Amino acid sequence: MVKRIALAQLSSCWGCDQSLVDLHLKLLDVLPALDIVYWPAVVDYKMADLEAIPNHSIHFGFVEGSCRTKEDLHLLRLMRQKSKLLVAWGSCSAYGGVQGLGNQWELNDLLERKFLKADTITEGRIPEENLPGFTEHVTPNPDIVDFEVILPGCPPTSENTAEALTALISGKPYDLPDKTVCDQCPKERKEKKIKKFFRTHEGHIDPNKCLLDQGYLCLGFATIGLCGAQCPTVNTPCKGCFGPPPNIKDHGAKIISALGAIADMTPEELERAFPDPIGSFYFTDYASSYLSRIRGKQRSRKKK
Amino acid sequence: MITPKTTAPGKAVRKDKKSTFEPRIMAFCCNWCSYAGADLAGTSRMQMPPNVRIIRVNCTGRIDISFILDALYQGADGVLVSGCHPGDCHYTSGNLKMKSRFALLKRLLEEAGLEPERVHLQWASAAEGEVFAEGITNMVERIKKLGPNPVGRRI
Repeated sequence: MVKRIALAQLSSCWGCDQSLVDLHLKLLDVLPALDIVYWPAVVDYKMADLEAIPNHSIHFGFVEGSCRTKEDLHLLRLMRQKSKLLVAWGSCSAYGGVQGLGNQWELNDLLERKFLKADTITEGRIPEENLPGFTEHVTPNPDIVDFEVILPGCPPTSENTAEALTALISGKPYDLPDKTVCDQCPKERKEKKIKKFFRTHEGHIDPNKCLLDQGYLCLGFATIGLCGAQCPTVNTPCKGCFGPPPNIKDHGAKIISALGAIADMTPEELERAFPDPIGSFYFTDYASSYLSRIRGKQRSRKKK
Repeated sequence: MITPKTTAPGKAVRKDKKSTFEPRIMAFCCNWCSYAGADLAGTSRMQMPPNVRIIRVNCTGRIDISFILDALYQGADGVLVSGCHPGDCHYTSGNLKMKSRFALLKRLLEEAGLEPERVHLQWASAAEGEVFAEGITNMVERIKKLGPNPVGRRI
C-alpha cells in the first residue's frame, strides 16, 4: 500500500530537505512506496492544501524546524492533527536548534539587534505588518505536541533519513541508538589528561589520534552516534549537533561533568578556556536544556 | 513527577507574605566528610536554619551538573555542594573534579541569566560540624537576599 507523507518546514534552514534529496538515485527505492501530499520545499503547496486534508489521514508527518513564529505553531499543531505518525526531523525539531540559543535574550533585544543595530542596516525598523508575529521563547517541538519518532541531526544524514523512512514504511519501530560518536570514530584513544584547550585553527592536528586527547573540544563523547563520525574523521572536532544520546537529559551539563574529570587544569584555567559555555556546549539543543526551561518559565510567569 | 506533600503547618499563609520568604535549599553532602560533619553538627546540637534538605552522595565527584540544574528547575532556591577538603577525598580526587565542574557551572549560570550565587561549593570535614553549620547559615542568608527561584516553587 502506498503511504501518504507530508513534510512541513517551520523556522529552519531547510537543510534536512537538502539532505533528503541528496539521496539522489537512492530516492527511487523509497519514492514508489510514498505519496507526497505536502512538501512546500519541493512542490508549491500552500497552508490551505494541508488544511483541506482530512484529520489523521497522513501516514507519516515529518516536521522540520522549530517554532519561532506563531505561524510555525499553527503549522506544527496542524501537522499533529493530520498525521498518524509524527517525526521530529532534525535537531531544530527535536531540540529547538541553533535558534534556541536566542533564548538567552528577551525577544525585544533580539529584534533590536537584528533589525535596528545590525552593522549593515540603515534606517532600520522592526517589521510588523502582514507577519504572523514571533514567539517569546523557542520551545522544543516535543514540548508542544507529541511525537512518535525523534530523528535528530543538523542535518540528519541522507542515510539516517532513508533508514528511518524504510523502517517506517515496513512498519518496524525506529529507535535511536545508545552509542556515541566516539564509538564510530576511527581515531586512536588514550587516557585523557588535557593540559590546554586549543581552538581549531591553533596548532597542528595529528590525524591518527583522538582530537580530545590533543586538546580540541570534540564533543563526540556526549553526542549520539548517528552521523558516522563525519567531522572527527576529517579532523574537525564534533560540535555535538546531533544532541545527546536518548537517556541524557541535559547535553551541556553532561559535557561539563566530563570535562571536570578529564581536564588536568586548574578550575580557573578551565573557566578561561570556555568564555562562552552555552555556545560551546549547547550548539543545537539549548532550548531543551534545564537553564532555557527555567528562563522560559520565568518568562511565562512574567506575562501572567 | 510525584511531589511529596509537606506536613509543615501554615504553608498557605507563608506563600503570600513576601517578607517571610523561607528558601528551600538542596544540599549534596559527601558520605565521608560533610555528611559526617552534618551529623556531628546535629549531635552536638549546633544551631542552624532548617531550610536545607540534604542528599547523601558517596563523593562530590559523583555529582553530575545535571543534578544541580534539575534541582534548580524543580524549584530549589539554592543548591549547596559540600565535600571533603582538597587532598582529603576518600577517592583521592573526586572533590577536585567537582571543583573544576563548578567553575564551568558558575560561568554557565551567569551566561544564562541566573544568579550564580544560587549554587555554592564548600569544604567541611567530618570533624568540622561548626564549619558545616556556618556554611548552611551563610547559604540561607545569601539566598534570602537573592529572593525566590524565578521558576516558582515545585518541590
